[in-house]
Amino acid sequence: MQSTQEIFEQLRGVLQDLFEIDPAHVTLEAHLYNDLEIDSIDTIDLILRLKEITGRKIQPDQFRHVRTVGDAVNAIETLLQHKPAAA
Amino acid sequence: MSESAAAREPLGRRMNRVWRIFGTGLSFACFGIGAVLMGFTVWPVLRLTTTNPRRGIARVQRAVSGSMRVFLWLMKSVGVISYEVHGVEKLRERGQFVVANHPTLIDVVFLVSLMPEVDCIVKQALWRNVFLRWPVFWAGYISNASGEGLVAACAAALNQGRSLMVFPEGTRTRPGQPLTLQRGTAQIALAAPADLRPVTITCNPITLFKGNPWYRVPPRKAHFVISVGDSIPIDAFLAAGEPLPLAARHLTQALTRWFEAACAQQHGILRRETLSKS
Repeated sequence: MQSTQEIFEQLRGVLQDLFEIDPAHVTLEAHLYNDLEIDSIDTIDLILRLKEITGRKIQPDQFRHVRTVGDAVNAIETLLQHKPAAA
Repeated sequence: MSESAAAREPLGRRMNRVWRIFGTGLSFACFGIGAVLMGFTVWPVLRLTTTNPRRGIARVQRAVSGSMRVFLWLMKSVGVISYEVHGVEKLRERGQFVVANHPTLIDVVFLVSLMPEVDCIVKQALWRNVFLRWPVFWAGYISNASGEGLVAACAAALNQGRSLMVFPEGTRTRPGQPLTLQRGTAQIALAAPADLRPVTITCNPITLFKGNPWYRVPPRKAHFVISVGDSIPIDAFLAAGEPLPLAARHLTQALTRWFEAACAQQHGILRRETLSKS
């Protein structure tokens, strides 16, 4: 089980790899759309990458209410608490 | 210069300005009336007298292109605008992804007039506009309402050999503000994949820009310069093997720099010509 801090650090890495976002700008309060300039198409790529990393199925609904990096970390934490969905 | 001559000069200019307000209103009135009339008569007939929907759309698009040429001829004839086009032969080829900067309301009119068959992305508000909803419907233009499906729809149009025209800024440039491009254009180009055909539009003095009503005409007749640039190959942006979101960012940055340089150069040339004339 990963700690919240570990998830946050990993997400930072993903945001840098995928979108070249300076890790210094990635704080829990940072807004994905307004502060980090992640658009709706980026979100699809981000969710795909998170699927790979977590090995969990992700329903778009689970990320619908995500606005900040903190929201995303919480959503990933919730995902990891559940067992991988039966294929 | 005598005192009376000095007094007459501003009067002449004033009359010219009032004439250009009238001419602009007349042109736009003709545009609106024409759009409604054609939208209920010629366009549906062209579209519905063939069983092949793509052929119907192509017919309407060619006719719309022709009517845009008539509209520009009208604006030029009444003395509201003047324009010059460079490199139009580069637009003749089919299946091109045309991207242009967007200083004024009538940029789309120029581009559509120069390309017989081209798909455009039309914002949701125009699909509800009483004048334009039927023409954009019959011409088979693409609605921006589809959100994430929009990139796929545009890439599909290009892959079917149709030409597509996009304003990467997403809306008209605000004069004096830095050029900001949305990433959607890059995402379409990478998804297709398709080379980009950039078109630089400048207008001097600027008119019909964002937030400027049509009746606030510029001090002099507005002169448009439309230059079709050389193709920007997409291969270089795909070759690096970067994840698509990153490649889209790099392409958007490159495109922003391209348009900044092209606009600056075009404005610079204009300024020199104006200076040498006076």
